[in-house]
Amino acid sequence: MATDDLTLVKRVRSGDQRAFKLLVERYQRKVYAVALGMLKDKEEAMDVSQEAFVKVYKYLDHFKGDASFYTWLYRITVNICIDIIRKRSGAGGEAVEFDETLPMDVSEANIGALGSRLGTNPQKSALRRELAEKIQEALSAVPEKHRAILLLREVEGMSYEDLSRTLDIPKGTVMSRLFHARAKVQKILSQYLELDEAKSGVGSE
Amino acid sequence: MLLLSPYIDGELSPSERIVVERHLSACKECTGRTADLRAESGLLRVGLEMAVDEVDFKDFAQKVMARVTPEKPPLLERLKLSLSEMFLYQRTVLISSMATAAVLALVAVPLLLRDKAPLGYAGERMTVKSVHVYEEARASPVVMETEDGSTIIWLVDQDTPAPGEDTSSQDAKDPDADPTEATPGKALPAAKDPETPKEGAL
Repeated sequence: MATDDLTLVKRVRSGDQRAFKLLVERYQRKVYAVALGMLKDKEEAMDVSQEAFVKVYKYLDHFKGDASFYTWLYRITVNICIDIIRKRSGAGGEAVEFDETLPMDVSEANIGALGSRLGTNPQKSALRRELAEKIQEALSAVPEKHRAILLLREVEGMSYEDLSRTLDIPKGTVMSRLFHARAKVQKILSQYLELDEAKSGVGSE
Repeated sequence: MLLLSPYIDGELSPSERIVVERHLSACKECTGRTADLRAESGLLRVGLEMAVDEVDFKDFAQKVMARVTPEKPPLLERLKLSLSEMFLYQRTVLISSMATAAVLALVAVPLLLRDKAPLGYAGERMTVKSVHVYEEARASPVVMETEDGSTIIWLVDQDTPAPGEDTSSQDAKDPDADPTEATPGKALPAAKDPETPKEGAL
């Protein structure tokens, strides 16, 4: 069994550099996945991932052992990403605004299409792969705060409680943002699916 | 409909879950939506995993460590550093041997100028208890016992009547030295009497 995070953190604090390396190796992929999902740009995501770990190391003394280490690590990662996105949009990039009061606009005709066409059939992995490649594009259409929640939920499998603590928002907000983020991604994926159907003929693969 | 998202995440309370499941068994539309949500969740995971798999993390941790650890100079720099350290070390040796020479001169010069043996300058902790001289020995060793039981063997070279340079006199400055290896410098006054010692060795 691997040493738990808090033990490693204590070891880092007492000057054990190798313990920090273990933490980096433990979370590097997931931190990168979150950063990539947030930023879409591979290089930027890599820079952010490094930056996040460097920051964590630097402020390790501020980490109160009351929350999980990864909660803190992801919070730092997400904040760096949001800063970058804001700078981007400030520099003329697209800022995605989102009105949570708007009703979900998934086209009703498509309900169940994604689920039924993907199903669990391994034969359909080609389509799954194709759609998976579109995921990052779909994510970029989701406002950053919603995106962060969706990513942390899906990549890390964080509980609503953890999400609420990580992002410092009430659990109800976690739930509604997650719902809206999913609706948005769903809509985009459905559009791809329609395009795909139009290309290859309905239902045939 | 809002409950479907927490439903697939397993975040509903048991009572809420029962309500949703009851509804799902009757509502085809919501069953379809649930399947969509699950498919989407899986896609997200697979999609990101695929993207992460494209990345080589071999050097990642190393790079992070390089940024958080105190500067580690490249090989050439380190080599230079160790060379200069070596030089520094040798210089220390050089300086200390020069210091030794200076101390020796300081001690030896007054010794040579004096006819009478100097009064003992043994340390407080170490006093000479008894002195045995083995006359028949060529090197004429002087064996002394100190109070704490240590033995000092003082060899006096009689062959070379050279100026009294005492290599061990520097040691006399360190009274805290290992007691079993007592310093011969302290035995100097005792050894001085029979014949002028030219060289001492332990």
